[in-house]
Amino acid sequence: MTSRTLGQFYPVASPVHALDPRAKILAAAVFVVGLFLVDSTVGLLFVAAALVALVGVSRIPAGTFVRFMRPVLFIIALTVFFQVLFSREGSTLIAWGYFEVHTGGLRLGFFLALRILLLVSSAGLLTATTAPVALADGIEDLLSPLKRVRFPAHEVAMMMTIALRFIPTLGQEAEKIRGAQAARGADFSEGGPLRRARSLVPVLVPLTVGAFRRADELAEAMESRGYRGGEGRTRYRELIFGKGDALALIVTVLILLVGILL
Amino acid sequence: MKLELRDVSYVYAPGTPFEVEALRGVSLVVEQGEVLGIVGGTGSGKSTLVQHMNLLLIPTSGDVLVDNVDARTLKKSDLRRRVGLVFQFPEAALFAPTVEEDVAFAPRQLGLGEAEVRERVIESLRAVGAGELSARSPFALSGGEKRRAAIAGVLAMKPEVLVLDEPTAGLDPATRRELLALILGLRQTGISVVLVSHDLDEVAEVADRICALHEGRVSATGTPAELFYTDPAQAPVTVRVASLLRASKPGIGTPVRFEETLQALRALQGG
Repeated sequence: MTSRTLGQFYPVASPVHALDPRAKILAAAVFVVGLFLVDSTVGLLFVAAALVALVGVSRIPAGTFVRFMRPVLFIIALTVFFQVLFSREGSTLIAWGYFEVHTGGLRLGFFLALRILLLVSSAGLLTATTAPVALADGIEDLLSPLKRVRFPAHEVAMMMTIALRFIPTLGQEAEKIRGAQAARGADFSEGGPLRRARSLVPVLVPLTVGAFRRADELAEAMESRGYRGGEGRTRYRELIFGKGDALALIVTVLILLVGILL
Repeated sequence: MKLELRDVSYVYAPGTPFEVEALRGVSLVVEQGEVLGIVGGTGSGKSTLVQHMNLLLIPTSGDVLVDNVDARTLKKSDLRRRVGLVFQFPEAALFAPTVEEDVAFAPRQLGLGEAEVRERVIESLRAVGAGELSARSPFALSGGEKRRAAIAGVLAMKPEVLVLDEPTAGLDPATRRELLALILGLRQTGISVVLVSHDLDEVAEVADRICALHEGRVSATGTPAELFYTDPAQAPVTVRVASLLRASKPGIGTPVRFEETLQALRALQGG
């Protein structure tokens, strides 16, 4: 029921958790853009070391964080595989018919794998250390200058909040329905891929029906509590961008600059 | 069959900040052909407990025994058939285009022939008083009708033990009474029933024995009279009335069911 995956909030008290969400979102954005400008392996390793230190500060157990990464391992493996297979740079290590492995390919594969891993880790660290509501509030604030050009910043943030809020709810619901069908003899682990996909129908149909029902109920509950959109709406928790937040952002920029220069 | 839980503990999400100890050394027995009521407040572990009865949840420690055999050694599909589990709000798992097909799901999974499947569908829908619903879409039914269809979907496996988690929650009084009558009817055919509920009045009507859960532990087990008369403040209304009268009229005895209580009161009046 509680298998944790990438992007789920991990509620512990840490300096990273305490940062203003806007600072963290901006820092993550700087990080992601910066990563594409880092073109040396040494630079990338330096940034990686900084990120490892940051994960340490965030008090998320290393094992849990590594488990967060499991879903992207396949993509990374695929990238490395194709790099190694199709790159013809450097000296030849293995030549086996059409299949050749070159040192350049290995280096490039490693470089790309590390880059993807860092991209996903930075996004993962952001969502793991920021409560979904704080994240949405931060995004709303950062997008609010666009309100002048009639961009519905509040509505977008509200949709995100709701989507994030209901991921665990739907997860629990799916688990319950799975249990109920398993109690009726459904088996989700037997047979080939086609049969396994078909065995999910008894779970997906009620889950979808339930999601629509929930959406209806939520809309009604929001209306009955007087929700009328973003105009003039105040917040329970005001965000405060302090010195520490500015410092964190500056440090992130510096780390990336060093990474780019190395 | 006899179903036994021996010193069962269960921890959700061990080793994370979300860790919850839901069951702490629960032992209980469901004897052949009895109705066992499981009562307890919200969060006492009732729903976690029943999911151990067909091993949807594997105990963190402790054993589940079926006729004194470790349930983990049995074939999973066989165990799930013999211990039919009806989840709380089971109508959330209806999925087929018609009620008939939904109820047919479990017997088809068992690999039965079409004739046998059809027979079981008709039989179990009739048992829950929903025979006329068979051709309708489950999504177009009323709450009570959905509930009946969902329970029929488990009955169609012909379980030896039927586990019902809060089967009457949110139902109208008439449907509730019919469900309780169904439970008593099943017991007469030798099927054991586990009824999870926080409605003491309904447990009092049908249970042979009661097991009370509190914070993941069994806080008491016994017959309804034993349990309810030790703490009449936490008892069904029949027991509350009788225990108040008992102070001046000990002759009333320890009635629990509505009919019993009524008779005892009439006897007092006559005497």
